[in-house]
Amino acid sequence: MDSRIRELRERFGWSQGELAERLQVSRQTVNAIETGKYDPSLPLAFRLARLFGEPIEAIFLPDGIQGEE
Amino acid sequence: MFRKPVVLLGLGLAVMFIAIGLTWYAPAARLAQGMLWGVGGGLLLGGGIRWLGGGHCDEAPPRVHRRYLREFIPAMAAYLVLLVLSLWLLKRVDDQALRAIVALLPVAPIALVLRAIIRYIRDTDELQRRIELEAVSFSTALVSLLYMSGGFLQLAGVIDVPSGVAMIWVFPLMCVIYGFAKALVSRRFR
Repeated sequence: MDSRIRELRERFGWSQGELAERLQVSRQTVNAIETGKYDPSLPLAFRLARLFGEPIEAIFLPDGIQGEE
Repeated sequence: MFRKPVVLLGLGLAVMFIAIGLTWYAPAARLAQGMLWGVGGGLLLGGGIRWLGGGHCDEAPPRVHRRYLREFIPAMAAYLVLLVLSLWLLKRVDDQALRAIVALLPVAPIALVLRAIIRYIRDTDELQRRIELEAVSFSTALVSLLYMSGGFLQLAGVIDVPSGVAMIWVFPLMCVIYGFAKALVSRRFR
């Protein structure tokens, strides 16, 4: 699934490792979500949304709505 | 440094060369030879797995990884010590009940190793758990298939593998296939 995680993360000035630490996940997981290779669980998606202060549907873009896989 | 596949592969080869050297110069030191072959083989396998996984094939939050190493390394060290002790004692103990206890000595630290692995999987993050699940499933399926084939061949009288050897190798085989499967599965998410 496409997402705006990378864009938001860079806006906050965090590295993948820093975001991973804030989310209590590994850097590998942040990278896999950013590249669209892994869809996070609902709780993790909510943690992301809370961290960036945006609703989930503004962060994750289901396939076919915007951009390409 | 020990995370680099090249270093592990190089060390593995070096240890194996020492093992070969020992077969020439100290043919009597069978235990040392066996251990060196084991360590060398382990390093080669570890290096191979890391190489396949692109340098690092499992990533857990640092806290979980540290706890895992803190539990895994002492248990594995205790296993090595108890294994040597058990083999040494088995040559000197005759009483059956006592032999059973001595033979089972190395099992206790292996149980601790398994506990460390399970705690690691339980507390790692969701992506890593998914990778572990796929890897464990694959390794369980493959080892089951292998042992079932072996069992049928043995019953048909085509092969004749000593039962002790067959039983001992279930766990190491699962670990090795698990490692390779993990490296391959984690590539998909990179």
